[in-house]
Amino acid sequence: MSTAPLEVEEPLTDEAIGTDRPWIVIVWNDPVNLMSYVVYVFQKLFGYSREKATRLMLQVHHEGKAAVSEGTREKAEADVSRLHAHGLWATMEHPS
Amino acid sequence: MSPRFDRRGEGVVVTLDTNEVELLRAIPGEVRGALEEPSSKDDPVYNRLFPSAYLDPTEESAEREWQELVHPELLQSRLAALDLMTTTLDRAVTKRGRAEVELAPEEVEAWLGVVNDARLALGTRLGVTEDAESEAIEPSDPSAAAHAVYGWLTWFENDLVDTLLG
Repeated sequence: MSTAPLEVEEPLTDEAIGTDRPWIVIVWNDPVNLMSYVVYVFQKLFGYSREKATRLMLQVHHEGKAAVSEGTREKAEADVSRLHAHGLWATMEHPS
Repeated sequence: MSPRFDRRGEGVVVTLDTNEVELLRAIPGEVRGALEEPSSKDDPVYNRLFPSAYLDPTEESAEREWQELVHPELLQSRLAALDLMTTTLDRAVTKRGRAEVELAPEEVEAWLGVVNDARLALGTRLGVTEDAESEAIEPSDPSAAAHAVYGWLTWFENDLVDTLLG
């Protein structure tokens, strides 16, 4: 039996861990935006099918929020600004 | 009579009563006012039109950088949509008391964005809830007229989106 090579544990910084986990874009429920409009925006911005866009809209409506896209910080920031341009209430987070 | 939307090619033809044209003409000015930076940081209408990207308070500097990067763009595209709505309304053709406006796809998007922004501003100011339609507003209520405009815009937007979704 050979012995396992000695492993040197390097402390992982937040930054190093963070590179693997995607940022999540969240859309929050609000009392003004129409259900049909939210479906329209999801289809237009993300190219989602009617079914997927409708499922996400219903999740926002019933659960108060839904994760609609994910990716690097840059992609999430771009998606949030496109959602804001269309009047949707969107934020981004990095789940731990 | 109610507004009507008919697809024509890639665009949409909107048919309106003359009083509906007048109502829509007033909308860009209303929205323009709501887009101006308020004196207070806690202005609910402004914060609804320009929300934060980051909720996490430790991302404060990322939030500031993001705002500096995207805010001018978000503001400019909204102002451009207001101008487009005004100029397209100017070319409305009146036939037998009904006005017709033919909109190209990017003009339809501008109208949709302006009407949605107007509803966000008005709805936030009025504090509407998801059950707003079932809430009876007394005609003597000082906000009755604003509620009526909000209701009309909701109906208008709903019909327009239904047309676009096909």
